[in-house]
Amino acid sequence: MDSKIKLPQIIITAFMAGLFVLAALLGMDIPELISGSFTKFVMNGVLVLAMIPMINAGVGMNFGLPVGIVAGLLGMCMAIQLRMTGIAGFLGAVALSVVPAVILGLIYAKILNMVKGKEDIAAIFIGYSFIPIMNFVWTVAPFTNREMLYPVGAEGLRPKISLENYFGSVLNELFVLKLGKISVPLGLLLAYAAVCLLVYGFFKTKSGSVMLAVGENEKFCQLSGIRIDRVRTTAIVLSTVIGAAGICVYAQTYGFVELYNAPLSHSFPAVSAILIGGCIGRQAKISHAVLGTYLYQTIYLLSAPIANAILIPQMSEIVRMIITNGIILYAFLKQERRRRQ
Amino acid sequence: MMKKVRKDELIVPVTFIVFSILCFFLSGISFMFLAEQVALRFIRNIILVLALIFPIMAGMGLNFAVVIGTTITQASFIIVLNFNLTGGRGAALVLAVSLVAAAGVGCVIGRLLNKVRGREMVTSIVVGFLANYIYQLIFVAGFGTVIHVFNKKLVLSTGIGVKNMVDLKTFKEVFDNLGVFRIGEAKISMLLLAMIIVCGFFVFYLMRTPLGQKIRAVGMSEEKSANIGIDTDRIRVIVIVLSTVLAALGQFVYLQNIGSLNVYTEHLDTEKFACAALLAGGASIRKAGVKNAFIGGVLLHTLFVLSPLAGRNAFANASLGEYFRSFVAYGIIAFALVVNLRLERKGE
Amino acid sequence: MGEYVLEVRNLEKYYGQNKVLDKVSLSVRKGEICGLIGANGSGKSTLMNILFGNSIIAGTGGYSGDVVFEGEKVQISTTTEAIGRGIGMIYQEFMLIPEMTVAENIKLTRENTKRIFGRALGSELSYVDRKKDSEDAAAVLEQLGFQIDNSYLVKNISVNAKQFVEIAREVNKQDLKLLLLDEPTAVLNDEDAGKLMKVLKELAKKGTSIIFCSHRLHEICEVCDHVTVLRGGKAVSDYGREELDMRALARDMIGYDVTAVKKERRNQEKKAVLSFRDFSVYMPGEFLDRLNLEVYEGEILGLTSLSGHGKLAAGYGVMGQFPVMGEFLYGGASMDVKNVRKTIEHGIFLLPDDRKNMGLLLEHSVRDNIIFSGFYGRNLFQKKAGGIFSVKDKKEIDRYVKQQIEKLDIKCGNPDQKVKELSGGNQQKVCIARAVLVAPKVLFVMEPTRGVDIGAKEKILDMLVQINREQGATIVVASSELEELKRISDRIAVFCEGRLSQILTPDASDEEFAFAFTGEEGEDGQ
Repeated sequence: MDSKIKLPQIIITAFMAGLFVLAALLGMDIPELISGSFTKFVMNGVLVLAMIPMINAGVGMNFGLPVGIVAGLLGMCMAIQLRMTGIAGFLGAVALSVVPAVILGLIYAKILNMVKGKEDIAAIFIGYSFIPIMNFVWTVAPFTNREMLYPVGAEGLRPKISLENYFGSVLNELFVLKLGKISVPLGLLLAYAAVCLLVYGFFKTKSGSVMLAVGENEKFCQLSGIRIDRVRTTAIVLSTVIGAAGICVYAQTYGFVELYNAPLSHSFPAVSAILIGGCIGRQAKISHAVLGTYLYQTIYLLSAPIANAILIPQMSEIVRMIITNGIILYAFLKQERRRRQ
Repeated sequence: MMKKVRKDELIVPVTFIVFSILCFFLSGISFMFLAEQVALRFIRNIILVLALIFPIMAGMGLNFAVVIGTTITQASFIIVLNFNLTGGRGAALVLAVSLVAAAGVGCVIGRLLNKVRGREMVTSIVVGFLANYIYQLIFVAGFGTVIHVFNKKLVLSTGIGVKNMVDLKTFKEVFDNLGVFRIGEAKISMLLLAMIIVCGFFVFYLMRTPLGQKIRAVGMSEEKSANIGIDTDRIRVIVIVLSTVLAALGQFVYLQNIGSLNVYTEHLDTEKFACAALLAGGASIRKAGVKNAFIGGVLLHTLFVLSPLAGRNAFANASLGEYFRSFVAYGIIAFALVVNLRLERKGE
Repeated sequence: MGEYVLEVRNLEKYYGQNKVLDKVSLSVRKGEICGLIGANGSGKSTLMNILFGNSIIAGTGGYSGDVVFEGEKVQISTTTEAIGRGIGMIYQEFMLIPEMTVAENIKLTRENTKRIFGRALGSELSYVDRKKDSEDAAAVLEQLGFQIDNSYLVKNISVNAKQFVEIAREVNKQDLKLLLLDEPTAVLNDEDAGKLMKVLKELAKKGTSIIFCSHRLHEICEVCDHVTVLRGGKAVSDYGREELDMRALARDMIGYDVTAVKKERRNQEKKAVLSFRDFSVYMPGEFLDRLNLEVYEGEILGLTSLSGHGKLAAGYGVMGQFPVMGEFLYGGASMDVKNVRKTIEHGIFLLPDDRKNMGLLLEHSVRDNIIFSGFYGRNLFQKKAGGIFSVKDKKEIDRYVKQQIEKLDIKCGNPDQKVKELSGGNQQKVCIARAVLVAPKVLFVMEPTRGVDIGAKEKILDMLVQINREQGATIVVASSELEELKRISDRIAVFCEGRLSQILTPDASDEEFAFAFTGEEGEDGQ
C-alpha cells in the first residue's frame, strides 16, 4: 500500500547523516562512534521489540513498559543475589524475570481490558503509580548480597548496582569482529537477531495471526467467535515478557542495574523509536523496530559529544527529548487524520 | 439549590482524611506547623488546580498541558529580568505578558486538541513534555547565542544559558509591601490572596452563565450539542485558553510568593499533582467544581506534608513517606481514569 | 398563506457513488404544513440534513441545486447558521442532554440572564436566571398541553416526555420561521400524538411553516396542507390537501411491484428451531421491542421494515452486539447472547450489513478471509505436523478456496489478492463463502445485496437459496429490498416502530405490505 520509507523517515535519516558530518568536521573518532552505535542499537533494541505485540493486537502503544522493566529488574536482582555469573548468569537473569513478568503482565492486562480505547493514558499512570510501590519494595526487600545494598547506614538496595562481577558486558564481548577500526559486537547482534526471529516467528503462528486480525478488525473477529480479551491479554503479557528481557540486555551492556525511578525513562523513547521506524500505530513490523531503534539511538549517541563540543552539554538530552515527543505528537495527529478518512 | 452528595463522590476525600489523620499522629508535628505548611503550598498551587476545571467540564478530561501556562510565566519573568526591569512595573509587565502569551498559546493548544478527539489527555501530556523541552532549549542554548543578554547576572559564566536559579525578590518585595497576611510563619501578600479569591469566584461564576451551560452540554454530549447549534470547536478552544491563562496566573502567584525561580525544574510535575488534588477533592474525569478544587487542595497538601514526616518519625526513613505520597498522587489519577472509563463503557 | 418561505430546486446529493437525491424540488409557503414521506433510502433524511446545515453534508461532498429561504438563495453549512435564520429541527433521535434538567434543555443556548449584567458582559457571559428559565419552560410545556416537573433530569423521564421536551425546545424559539420534524410521533401514544398535531396546527396558524416527516399516514392526512412523496431519491408525487388518500400514499411510498412473483409453497414441517420470547434489543437507531416469533427449521425467513424500525436488531441482538432483554431459545434451550463464541459453536452465524467494517479483513487476502471463521473459530483445516504442532493444511485450504471462487464466480486476480481491491459484489461473495465453510445451522444475513451490482445480486441470492436447500440451513435475511425477499423467502416478517407488524407470504398484495410497513390498519382492520 504505502512505501516503506516516507517523509518522516527521510527527515530523520538526513538529520542523522547531518550529525555524522558535523561530528567528522569537529574531528571526532568516526569509527569509534560507529562501533558505539551498534552497541547502543542492540542495547535498546529488545525494549523496542516489546512494543510490537500490543500494537499488533490493537491495544495501543505500550506506555506501560515500566511494568515489564520492573519484572526484568526483579529477575536480575535475584540472579545477583544467587551470585550467578557469566553467560549463564545472564540467561539465568532472563529466565528468572519470566515469572514476575507473566504475573505482572496478567494484572496489567486485566486493567487495560477495562479501559479499551484509552489504554495509552491509563498505561502511563499505571506505570507512574507502580514505580513508587516498587521503590518501597527495593527499600525493604530482603536481599543480602552486600554489593547490592546501600553502604552502611541507609536502608535498601542501591539505585545503581554494578554488574562487573556478574554478567556485565558478557554479550558485548562475545565474538567481536574487527573491520579496520570498527568493532562489530557480533554476539550482541546475534542475540538481538535471535529475539527478532522469535517475534517474527510468533506472528506466523496461529496465535500470532489471530492477534494481527484482532488488531486489524476487532468486531470481525468477535463475530467469528474469537475471544478478544484473551488475545489482548496474551499480547500484553508477551510485551511485558519481552520488556523484561529487554532491560536485561540493556543492563548487561550498560554494566549497571538501575532501580527506583529509572524504569520510567524507557517508555517514551521506545514508543518514539518504533514510530520513527515507520509504524503509525496500527501494525508494527520487525523492520519498523530495527530501523527506528538504529536511527533513534545513533542520533542520541552522536548528539552528546557534539553538544559537549559546542559547550552546551545539556543540549543533547533536550534535543533528544524534543525529537522523542515531537514524533509521538506527529503520530497522534497522523492517526487521527487516517481515522477520519 | 442543594444537590445531594453521592456516595462515590465522598469515597476519595474520606480516604484522604483517614490517611491524613493517621500520618498526623505518626509524624509528631504540631498542628500549627502543619497548618502553616499546608497554607503555603495551597496558596501557591490552588489556581493551577482551578485551571483544570474547565477542560474537565467540557469533556476533554485532565488537561496536562496546563504546564505550558506555567512555563510561559517563568519565561516572562526571565525575559523581563533580561531587560533589567524591576519592581512594581516589572511585575505588572510580567503579569501582562504571561497572560497574553498564555491566551495565544492556549488557542494553538486548543486547536491541536480539537484534532485528536477522544485522545486529548494523552496528547496533552505529550504536548506538555514537548513544550517543556522547547522551553529548556530556549533558555539553556538560546540565551547568549540567538537571544541577546542584557542582564549578565542571569547567565552562566560561559555566557550561554540561563543559570539554574534566578532571584525574583525585587518583584516579590513590591507585592509584600502592600500588605501581608500571616498564618504562623507563612506570609502571603494580600494582593496575591485577592487574586486567588478572584480566580475562585471567576470559575464559579463562569460555569453559571450561558457559556458555562454550553461548556457543560459539550462535555456531556458533543454530538448532540453540535446538532442543536453549539459550535463545539469554538467552545473547546475557549476552554483551553481559559485553562492556560489561569495556569499562567497561578504560576505568577506561586513565584511571587516564593521569590525565586528554579528555571529548569520549578514547573515539573506540578500539573500532575494539581490533577491529583482536584481528584482528591471528589472530582472525576467528567465533572469538577470549585469546591472540589479547594477541598482537594487542602487534602492533598496535608497528606503531602505529613507523609515524609510520618515516614521519618515512624520508620526512620523519610523516603518511605515520599514513596507513599507519589503513589497516592499518581495512583489517584490512575484510579480515576480506570473507574471513569469503566463507567463510560457500561453506559454504552 | 402567503409567499414561499422555502423553495428547493433540483437538489442533488451523492454519498460516494450513491445518488441519494435526484433533482428534488419542493416548496413551502408561509404558515403551511408540508408533509414529506418516503421509505428507506428515499432521501428524506438527507433533505432535512441539508436544510438544517448538518455537518455530515459538507463532510461528504456537499450538494448541488438551490435552496431559497425567504426569497434569498442560501448555502446553510452549519446548524448554528440554520438556527440563526429561524430554522428549527426536531430529530428522530432526541438531541437532549441527559444529565441536564428539562428546563435547562429547553432553554439551552437561549437562557435568560439577570439583567444587571446585561449590557456590560453580553448575553453569553451574564449570570443565568434559573427561575425565569423555569417559568419559560413551564409556559411552553403548558402550551403543548404536557405536564412535567421541569427540574427532572432528562435521563430520568419517559420517552414520551423526552419527545415533548425536544419539541418544547424548538417551539420556544422566538421567530421560528421553519420547523423541520423527523418522525416526531414515532414514540408517542395516540393521545399525545393528537396533542402534537394540535400544536403544529396552531404554530402554522401563527405563521411558522412546517415540514413534517412521518410514516404514520393517517397523521399526515390529518394535518398536512400538501404532501410530497420521495422514493429512491426522486420526488415521485405531490398531493394537495383534497387529494390525500392513504392508500395512494402508501403505494407511492413503497413502489409498484413490476414483476409479480409466483412462488410455490414448499411443504415444510413447522418445527421451531429459534424462538424469540419478548426479545428486545437496544440497538441505537434500530430498537427492537418485545419480539415474539418462531423461526422454523429449514425455512428462509425475511425480515424487513422502514429504516430504523428494527429489522436489523434481531440478528445483532442474537450475536450479543447490543444489550438485550427477554429470551432467545435455540432448539428449546435458552441462550446467553453475550457468549458469542458459544453461539457460533452451536451453529448460529451472522454476516453483517457493514461489510467493510465488520465483515471483512480488508488488508488480508481472499483466501484468508474465506477460511478465517472456519479456521480460527471452528478449528477446521488443521493437520498435525510431526504429531504435535497444528499447522495450516495448505493443500486442503487451496482446494477449498479455489472451489468456492469458481462456485460463486468471485472475480479476483488470484486467491492472494487483497480483499479491499474487490468490488462490493465480490466482497459479499467472499463473505458468503466464509459462512458456507462454517456450515451454520442458522444463518443471519444482514442486507445481503447492499452496494452490490446487478450481476452479483443474482448470484448472491441464488447462493443463499442453495445453502438453504443443500445444507439444510435456516436462513434469516434482513433486507430493505422487498423484491429480493419476495423472491427467496418462505415468509416475510414486517416490522414497524420496533414491533412485529405482520408476517406475510411473498405473494401478498402491495397494499398489505405498504400497510404493514407503516403500521396502518387496512380498511378491514387487518
